[in-house]
Amino acid sequence: MLLLIFKIIFALLALSAIFTVWNKKQKTLLGPKATFFWIVLWLVITLVVFWPNSTQILAEYVGIGRGVDLVIYISIACLFYLVFKMNIKIEGLKRDLTDVVRKESLKK
Amino acid sequence: MFIAIVPAYNEEKRIAQVVSDLLKSVDSVIVVDDKSRDNTIGEATQSGAMVLQHKINLGQGAALETGHEYARSIGVDYVLHFDGDGQFCVEDIAPALEKLKESKADILFGSRFLDNRSKVPFLKKYFLLPIGRFINKLFGVVSLKDSQNGFRILNRNALEKIKITQNGMAHATEIMGLTRKHNLNYVEFPVKVIYHEYGQGIGGGLKIVKDLFLGKFLK
Repeated sequence: MLLLIFKIIFALLALSAIFTVWNKKQKTLLGPKATFFWIVLWLVITLVVFWPNSTQILAEYVGIGRGVDLVIYISIACLFYLVFKMNIKIEGLKRDLTDVVRKESLKK
Repeated sequence: MFIAIVPAYNEEKRIAQVVSDLLKSVDSVIVVDDKSRDNTIGEATQSGAMVLQHKINLGQGAALETGHEYARSIGVDYVLHFDGDGQFCVEDIAPALEKLKESKADILFGSRFLDNRSKVPFLKKYFLLPIGRFINKLFGVVSLKDSQNGFRILNRNALEKIKITQNGMAHATEIMGLTRKHNLNYVEFPVKVIYHEYGQGIGGGLKIVKDLFLGKFLK
């Protein structure tokens, strides 16, 4: 019973997260790639919460012993990728900022 | 016209001397103040430099490129990169410029290792700088004896082609990379470096590698 309540709460949370992502897309705060990524991520997480064995099937298919290990490996890879993307974004912003500061310093 | 670009950050104690010494060897001194918290701007202005001010601290590479943009806008013949902390000697400028003209090179790189006037700290000489040279090789830049020397002279051709995008200390490697990319002729020249501070440590070196790596993914 407790597990079912947890699943329902999680499903509502995931639904609200997807709704937020879609809203941001409508306001052009998120690009199509990022929208796709976040929606797929929340759908996959929901799938795993409702059918935990699904990770086991996939883990066996790719030759990893336990489903939970596969989830951890994928999560770490995703986190690394996101940190990398964020660093690139920050570098880009730094360059924009540099251009502004430089133009200002050369104005006189 | 021969101008010196001096990136400066909190150099109020030494900048006046550096500027007045430089004015004996170049036509004009451009100090690019990188948001110093002290009186660097006042000292530099009083000693006869033209001062460009960054409103935010961006780093030495950014300050040099600001100086480059200014130099391009007024159409200079030669540009000297010279540190604001007085670690270089103005006596090296005239022979270096002569060498650049004589060898018909586009860019001259100062080197601490072509004579024995510089007292380079042991760890830096035998550990950090060889690592620096190895990293430079990884990033495919021109091969120099001294991979991190801030003394350079660029002619107009080099000035037009070398546009620094690395704000921090990675600009030294970037300049070497752009020299190769644009097929510029280069020459190394012995300069004396006086160490007031240790300079780049291991942490600084790692940051340079990170900046160069991320820079590869940006246009």
